[in-house]
Amino acid sequence: MAAIRTENLSKTYRAGLSGKDTVAVRALNLDVKEGEVFGFLGPNGAGKTTTIHLLLNLIRPTGGTAFLFDRPVTETEVHRRLGYLPESVNLHDYYRGRTLLDFYAALCGVPPASRAARVSELLKLLGLEAAADKVVSKYSKGMAQRIGFAQAMLHDPDLLILDEPTSSLDPVGRKDFRDILIELKRRGKTVFISSHILSEVESVCDRVAILQNGELKRVGTLRELSAGRSTRLIVKGLPAAVMESLAATTAQVTLIQGQVTIRCADETLRQTVEALLRQHDVEIVCQEIETQSLEEIFFSTIGSQPKP
Amino acid sequence: MKTILLIAKDSVRALLHQRLLLGLMLASLAMTIFFSITLGAARKSINRSFADGQTATNSFTGTNQMSETDRRRFQDQMETASSAVQASFYQIASFGGSIVALFIFSTAVSGEIRRGTIRLTLSKPVSRAAFLVGKYLGGVVVMAGFAVITSLAILTFAHSQNVELSPAIKWAPWLMFCRQLMLGSLAMLLSLFMHPITASLLAFFAGNGFYSSPNPLYFVLPSYKDFNVFFQVLQGSLMNFRDVAFLSLYAIDFVAIMLLLALWRFRTKELV
Repeated sequence: MAAIRTENLSKTYRAGLSGKDTVAVRALNLDVKEGEVFGFLGPNGAGKTTTIHLLLNLIRPTGGTAFLFDRPVTETEVHRRLGYLPESVNLHDYYRGRTLLDFYAALCGVPPASRAARVSELLKLLGLEAAADKVVSKYSKGMAQRIGFAQAMLHDPDLLILDEPTSSLDPVGRKDFRDILIELKRRGKTVFISSHILSEVESVCDRVAILQNGELKRVGTLRELSAGRSTRLIVKGLPAAVMESLAATTAQVTLIQGQVTIRCADETLRQTVEALLRQHDVEIVCQEIETQSLEEIFFSTIGSQPKP
Repeated sequence: MKTILLIAKDSVRALLHQRLLLGLMLASLAMTIFFSITLGAARKSINRSFADGQTATNSFTGTNQMSETDRRRFQDQMETASSAVQASFYQIASFGGSIVALFIFSTAVSGEIRRGTIRLTLSKPVSRAAFLVGKYLGGVVVMAGFAVITSLAILTFAHSQNVELSPAIKWAPWLMFCRQLMLGSLAMLLSLFMHPITASLLAFFAGNGFYSSPNPLYFVLPSYKDFNVFFQVLQGSLMNFRDVAFLSLYAIDFVAIMLLLALWRFRTKELV
């Protein structure tokens, strides 16, 4: 069963008579399996938060459908299995930390007998014990984000949707967050994270999707996304005829201490080069698929370069 | 039902923490007290001027007796003054309550959308219908509290000023409460389409008081004016239970229709 499934999910914001319509999400097909940690990436305005709002039924799609655990997102009951942390955590600021969590726990249907213990457990887990009886309006951004994360986990949901979960956290908070995610992953929970912090996503996610201008550009595991892109072929000695033939292609040839490395940017080029080498009986000593970091994958997908 | 009650409880808590609302309530209460004191003083002044006139008459005639005509005139003056005091008291409380009701109900849902707090609440297993009804119920509880305070204030005032209560004033808090709930339900519905201030103004001025029977608007727009018992209180006239029951039924129907329309709108409303 898919924890999240979207079929041609689309959202267009209609402009007035004079303006242009804005396509926020364009025919999105996603399939997030149960038990996986899924990274949802994209530059600002890519449509990540809009997608999350569609999944939470806060806004209505202009096309397509979305499902959580194979049930339409319009069904309220499916929210019993869902925890959500928004990008900017807007809390009912007239509560104290503990009473706020108690209120949300009651809404989630946590039995009164176990509510206090569960609230205390989460306050401790997120390092908010000391601020538990402080009015929420006095909380710092980081504390608000922590309590926001706590409210999302109150009823131990099967699926967590986290929108920029660490944007206001300090390095210690980020580490704590990563540890919690790893624990959730170990327990088989599904986590859907939208984040700008690529290293964070890289370290915990099983699969990632990259969204740009509302369109799904790439989806897969890091291995799948980086595989088949560029390959390095190491050969022993290269006859001049082969060198000339290679010069006519886009393959990059480097010679270091008698070892020749041929870098092929894609699969087609690799096949051409291999055929050429075989034709001239050149022995391939080693063949390596070049792995890319998530940052490299991200920037190559959106067609931009990171600023130095 | 449990969810509705939780939302209602949260709504009451939120309203009691609203500085603007507390300010409005305090202003309304201060205005009521101010006018009560002023009107009480006017009543005392009538009493005193009559007593002075009586003393002058007695010293002239050399008697201590008040003539029957004078007694009746005095009683009439006192009754008129009492009714005026009660009617004014009621009018101020009713107006203040209406402002409070409009503020509460027009911001109940729209305020949550504006602040973004609705996103967390509706990410829980809370249906939009339960949320809206819970919010309305929270407002009803606060307005009921306001009506109780007003009733107690009327009783305390009547007792302290030794005023006999006009028969209509006994129903006044209930009818005022009904009127505020009607205003509130319309303001809540309109706030799902427009800015809360515009919604409040529209709800307040949308009564059918400006139209008469052949005009279709007279039948479509809410009839707030029937809930205003100012003249009944002023004239000291009786109100029968049947009229009050009919008005109550009208208010219930009106609120139910407004809430259904609000639910229809809220069901598809974009909440970010």
